[in-house]
Amino acid sequence: MTNLVTTGVLEAMTNIVVEVMPRPEGYVYPNEATVQPLWGILIVLYPYITGLVAGAFIMASLVRVFNVRALEPVYRLSLLTAFAFLLCAPLPLLFHLGHPERCYEVMMTPHLTSPMAIFGFVYAWYLMAVLLLELWFDYRHDFVNWADITPGFKGMLYRLFIVGVTDTSEPAVALDHRIGHILSIVGIPSAFLLHGYVGFIFGSVKANPWWGNVLMPIIFIMSAMVSGIALCVFNYLVLSWIRRRTVDMKCIDMMGKFLFYALVMDATIEGLDWIHRIYSAEEGFRIMQYMAREKLFYTLSLGQVAFGTLVPLILLGLLQLIRKRVPELQRRRMYFTSSLLILIGVLAMRWNVVIGGQLFSKSLRGLMGYKMEFTGLEGWFMGAVLLCLPFIVLTVFVKLFLSERLPTSGFVPHREPGEPALEAGEV
Amino acid sequence: MSNQFSRRSVLGKIGATLAGLIAAPAAKAAKTVVQKEFVTSGAPKGYDPTQHKWRMAIDANRCIGCGLCAEACKTENHVPAGPYFRTWIERYIITKPKAGSGEARGEVFVDCPDGGMHGFPEPPVPKEEIQHSFFVPKLCNLCEHSPCTQVCPVGATFDAPDGAVLIDPTYCIGCGFCIQACPYGCRFLSPITKTAEKCTLCYHRITRGLKPACVEVCPTQARIFGDLKHPVPDDPLQQFYQNNLVLALKPHLGTEPRVFYAGIDKEVR
Amino acid sequence: MRRFIQMPPQLFRIFLLAVGIVTVYLIARYFLTPASFGQYGWYRGEALAELAARQPIYAGKKACEECHSDEYQKLIKHEHKTLSCEGCHGPGQAHADNPRKDNIAKSSFAACLRCHEANPSRPKFLKQISVKTHYTGSKCTECHVPHMPLEVP
Repeated sequence: MTNLVTTGVLEAMTNIVVEVMPRPEGYVYPNEATVQPLWGILIVLYPYITGLVAGAFIMASLVRVFNVRALEPVYRLSLLTAFAFLLCAPLPLLFHLGHPERCYEVMMTPHLTSPMAIFGFVYAWYLMAVLLLELWFDYRHDFVNWADITPGFKGMLYRLFIVGVTDTSEPAVALDHRIGHILSIVGIPSAFLLHGYVGFIFGSVKANPWWGNVLMPIIFIMSAMVSGIALCVFNYLVLSWIRRRTVDMKCIDMMGKFLFYALVMDATIEGLDWIHRIYSAEEGFRIMQYMAREKLFYTLSLGQVAFGTLVPLILLGLLQLIRKRVPELQRRRMYFTSSLLILIGVLAMRWNVVIGGQLFSKSLRGLMGYKMEFTGLEGWFMGAVLLCLPFIVLTVFVKLFLSERLPTSGFVPHREPGEPALEAGEV
Repeated sequence: MSNQFSRRSVLGKIGATLAGLIAAPAAKAAKTVVQKEFVTSGAPKGYDPTQHKWRMAIDANRCIGCGLCAEACKTENHVPAGPYFRTWIERYIITKPKAGSGEARGEVFVDCPDGGMHGFPEPPVPKEEIQHSFFVPKLCNLCEHSPCTQVCPVGATFDAPDGAVLIDPTYCIGCGFCIQACPYGCRFLSPITKTAEKCTLCYHRITRGLKPACVEVCPTQARIFGDLKHPVPDDPLQQFYQNNLVLALKPHLGTEPRVFYAGIDKEVR
Repeated sequence: MRRFIQMPPQLFRIFLLAVGIVTVYLIARYFLTPASFGQYGWYRGEALAELAARQPIYAGKKACEECHSDEYQKLIKHEHKTLSCEGCHGPGQAHADNPRKDNIAKSSFAACLRCHEANPSRPKFLKQISVKTHYTGSKCTECHVPHMPLEVP
């Protein structure tokens, strides 16, 4: 154990002074002996971002479809989070292509046996038919009101978003919400499809034993849900802190509950994957075990398992048991810590899947290495930029659509007309 | 009333346009030349891809590991220098078991220095410890159910009607999915063209009646090439199939590779 | 049909928008799909001809026979009959198109050793020599004629 830590530290220190490129050990196919793997940090970020989208949408649909009233304050924030992240999701893919100028070919001549080809359509469907429509039907009433009272560029935007349908009478608004409800119902399987197929991109590769198995889409969907809910918790706490608003503790407690149970399900499915692999010990097991121990120690054992899963499970689990005895400030801190750890843990999980699958040879006799550069298309800097970009887009959306100065229509998804609105903490 | 009519006529016009648009590509495709023979300038005239079925076979009993094939392939196909190979040779060294270990075999060493392009150096173990040692030339396995063509999102890599598995370099977007999907490691992303590349059976040679470069320069006829649809008299490929028990690589994956190997051991993956 | 046309403005506008997007997509698809796509399968049929249009760099043994038939005849009657000319002399298409002395290699004893250097991985049917013990002179051609390897020069 200390050996590994010492070697890791020494390696890191040497690399500051002299760039030491990793060399393959054992036997790897000649085409695998490239310095960098084919799919790098960009392809790690892409499933991460789409997973956050799917999870945030599920959070929103908990309110609309399952009538969880306590979560109403985060309904719009969740939808906007999903939208902001969905807009940024294709960027890592585009940057990674050898010929991004030919990207339109995926939509023009999609090869329907390829999971990647289905991407263009699933993404377009989810963006346009689910998210945009649901956002529009939810916000239309407010756009009409805001367009009248907001001057300048913002007012023009609101007028544009109305799409000319200015009827704000009771039946029209009620119709809006009925359609929104239907869209939410359609949206849940769509969200599963959006991220499930990303898991299937890896799960369908029978050539790679690390990727190609039946559980892969399920694992991706589960971890997407966990990461999306964690993101909503994180966003809600950060936004409340920035705006100096009191956090609705019922809301955050409910989010924490869903986060905990989603994490339990996720950990169970991933645990099942591990147990099955270790038990059946198929042909590639030895090299994959060696690779996981040697190359993935920090991201797997520490990042994904210890800090990304076990610690949040303990924190959130404790809160389920003794919530009443924990003061509000500590509870918020625990939720914040858990959600941050989970977000990092799910990113580590994506890293382990994508990069891990490329660290051992298909000859099952050797390992390759991965040294990320700082600059360049697949470097640290680009990765950081692409991770921050959705948050910047979300900030713009929050300023436009969650402005505290503009009155909302007071409607919250499933409430019957005439019921009083929720009070403090409504974002 | 007039509102309904104008809406109705609008909808009617839209429906007609959509129907036309859906039918248009089919009509366009039908208009494209249905003939099968090559007509592009520079391409061998009169070659009809549907009239041939090219296959390669490997006789590992005859491979001497000289590396002329890998070198010829690099030259013939302008393969970039570095870890990029359309074909390569692997050396397997199976050592004798340690005395008293109760094993049938000792350790297995596999290596492929620079694709085998410049031959092989001295083995890493002394000659006395070697139980078996042999060379295996590797290339695209010409799968019947290619996983690589299955996953291409745009239709840039495909199974040609005459048996070769090819890549359209002007259409490939460089996503790398096919490279991940190939179980045999025979594809790579060219750093120069930024598209996927692989063994094409020297398509530009076989359509002119020449042999692939690797088959041409092999001194011991370890690589056997032929046309299943038009076997020549004393066709070496037919004789190979007739005279040898063969193995295919990774049969459990269901890719149904059509390159058969004679003389390889269970250690070859 | 009447109910369909009379549907509320939100739905009708969204429906029109959807139809508009699909129309734009179909138009784009018509223009952006290459002409020969689908000729043989889900790919550009033209690609086959384009790939076949590349120029060979190795000429093949038959091409050498056209001008060097005497050497060719000697080669195919002796032990090196399965060898290709270009294995030792390098790629020959440039030379075949434009026969000159400087665009083809003369070959050296490095070519001999490439195949005949003793290596335990090589099959037993191949005659192998260990350079240190076989001969201490400088060139293989002192005792062997490359095209007729067992003949003495």
